[in-house]
Amino acid sequence: MRPILMKGHERPLTFLRYNRDGDLLFSCAKDHTPTVWYADNGDRLGTYRGHNGAVWTCDVSRDSARLITGSADQTAKLWDVSTGKELFSFRFDAPARSVEFAIGDALAVVTTDNFMDHVPTVQVKRIAEDIDDQTEESALVITGIKGRINRAVWGPLNRTIITAGEDATVRIWDSETGQLLKESDKESGHQKTISSLSKSLDWSHFITGSLDKSAKLWDTRTLTLIKTYVTERPVNAVDISPTHDTVVLGGGQDAMNVTMTDRRAGKFEAKFYHKILQEEIGGVKGHFGPINALAFNPDGRSFSSGGEDGYVRLHHFDSDYFSIKM
Amino acid sequence: MAGMAPEGSQFDAKHYDSKMQELLSTGETEEFFTSYDEVFESFDDMGLQENLLRGIYAYGFEKPSAIQQRGIVPFCKGLDVIQQAQSGTGKTATFCSGILQQLDYGLVECQALVLAPTRELAQQIEKVMRALGDYLGVKVHACVGGTSVREDQRILGSGVHVVVGTPGRVFDMLRRQSLRPDNIKMFVLDEADEMLSRGFKDQIYDIFQLLPAKIQVGVFSATMPPEALEITRKFMNKPVRILVKRDELTLEGIKQFYVNVDKEDWKLDTLCDLYETLAITQSVIFVNTRRKVDWLTDKMRSRDHTVSATHGDMDQNTRDIIMREFRSGSSRVLITTDLLARGIDVQQVSLVINYDLPTQPENYLHRIGRSGRFGRKGVAINFVTRDDERMLFDIQKFYNVLIEELPANVADLL
Repeated sequence: MRPILMKGHERPLTFLRYNRDGDLLFSCAKDHTPTVWYADNGDRLGTYRGHNGAVWTCDVSRDSARLITGSADQTAKLWDVSTGKELFSFRFDAPARSVEFAIGDALAVVTTDNFMDHVPTVQVKRIAEDIDDQTEESALVITGIKGRINRAVWGPLNRTIITAGEDATVRIWDSETGQLLKESDKESGHQKTISSLSKSLDWSHFITGSLDKSAKLWDTRTLTLIKTYVTERPVNAVDISPTHDTVVLGGGQDAMNVTMTDRRAGKFEAKFYHKILQEEIGGVKGHFGPINALAFNPDGRSFSSGGEDGYVRLHHFDSDYFSIKM
Repeated sequence: MAGMAPEGSQFDAKHYDSKMQELLSTGETEEFFTSYDEVFESFDDMGLQENLLRGIYAYGFEKPSAIQQRGIVPFCKGLDVIQQAQSGTGKTATFCSGILQQLDYGLVECQALVLAPTRELAQQIEKVMRALGDYLGVKVHACVGGTSVREDQRILGSGVHVVVGTPGRVFDMLRRQSLRPDNIKMFVLDEADEMLSRGFKDQIYDIFQLLPAKIQVGVFSATMPPEALEITRKFMNKPVRILVKRDELTLEGIKQFYVNVDKEDWKLDTLCDLYETLAITQSVIFVNTRRKVDWLTDKMRSRDHTVSATHGDMDQNTRDIIMREFRSGSSRVLITTDLLARGIDVQQVSLVINYDLPTQPENYLHRIGRSGRFGRKGVAINFVTRDDERMLFDIQKFYNVLIEELPANVADLL
């Protein structure tokens, strides 16, 4: 599979997200300007200008009309996908890290980092259908988590919120009361910072990637650990195929150490594992910096990776991939 | 070149080491330096003001790099500093943070002066300074040649906190009194060994003479040969030093290769053979003279290869356009001289080709340091004629690095 190299970001990639139909790919980077691409051929469609800091994550509404972005400039912004117009800005006291729309797009969850005296928070924002009615008010604020919350996503039926981050713990919260419902087991769970989290298509299970060089598959309702995928490099990004029993992991050594070690030590390949058997199927190389973002196209026929090198690489799977037998 | 040492001795490791040892260990020198051993593993622990921290995190930094862990705090305390670190490991953010921490934002007068050897590098530093200082409301201006003198005078007249410039234009502005030195408390030399070399030293001296007597000085570079270190004694006051040993200067993350082209005439064919590989990612090709940049550009284009080129004789507007196109990835192969060997940081550069080996030893390190930047591996390829073999050997010995013959599957390296 010859990759399509997407050039346009001048600084490291941080996040990738396809829309539900799989025809658009949104990328975020440290260069302030989230970008949208045609997901089939990698042509650049447009950029979203307005942030004044690195953009850590984004999400797109089900009808592909709205984009939400979380940024280190201490704001999360709503955008009109097709015009690129900034619709609203939520302001915080600390960098905004993770953002996700709920089912129905009437709510969004946003996390903020620890910053000086401010503790990390998980906040639920109401998203108005008419932008003139939009307010900054939080429907819920969750505190009490120590360390940065790298990812917060909605659980089934919007009843819960799942968080994961620097303290290596996955937690499930009641999305109305903010009560902590479940916490991952310290022994079998991750041992270091959880960098990334991605849900299966039906949200029944999710995968987390960690700097402890592993990724783990969890049941969304019970927080039971289902599977563990062991690699030999810190994991910065993970995703689950929507159509096949595969998961993809990407990462590599800490960006700070990359130039100080031999080229073979980088381990920048995206690695595919069989979801059930936990065995490595293969890898795709090409990035010359750590992989920071991975996403499967919802049609399961391609995936994209984003790296510290500033490139987004779009890979359409060969027919071999679809006929893998284990 | 009249004063240049005979070939082979530029990379005389024994001479370099003995001179460095002499500078660092004599009784007099021992008194010259200040010890400062603290390491800060988080930006929050450094005592930086809130709006500077906001700027640092907004830029996308999450943890300080090694040079930042040691280098930001002593600079913030007003100490003179000599800071050496490998290419692409965070030196610019170190002195930018140090300056921003100490500015008086209520006083809209130039309080810090940063000098860089090239216009492109000065503009790059200005961009980082502006980004990190955004929440502080910093006013920073890039004062470089090739741009409108009148515009510079207007901007300086309206007041700025920091000036980042090239020596010629900065001296001109000082001389015309458009830039007033009265409130300048910080003076930074980036790529300091280049700035203190024969080409720039007199200009630096002239500028320094015009600055206030009591001033904090910071010198930064990936290369700090003993000659440059010796000169710093004349204008620095007991600096805190962070130095790297000669044989630890190269980055293992930059894989280095040579191609034996045998004759000068065969370099062009070799380059054309590599072109398809070059175009996969961003590449920089270094040659030694401006005339040769033009020659090579014409040759490549006549063979239907798309390339960009820049050198010191081109007008500034053209240079700016070419850099913008190269940074954004619109153009992917850039032919240049050592004008761009230092400091320039383009995210997707992963390959450097030394079409000619550099005439100055330090520039070898700087050239290959255009690939293999913070968080990214890189590849460097050296074209070697029969006459160059001795120099290649000297480079390997001096920097304690292995330069292998280029394998056939070069595309796999990128």
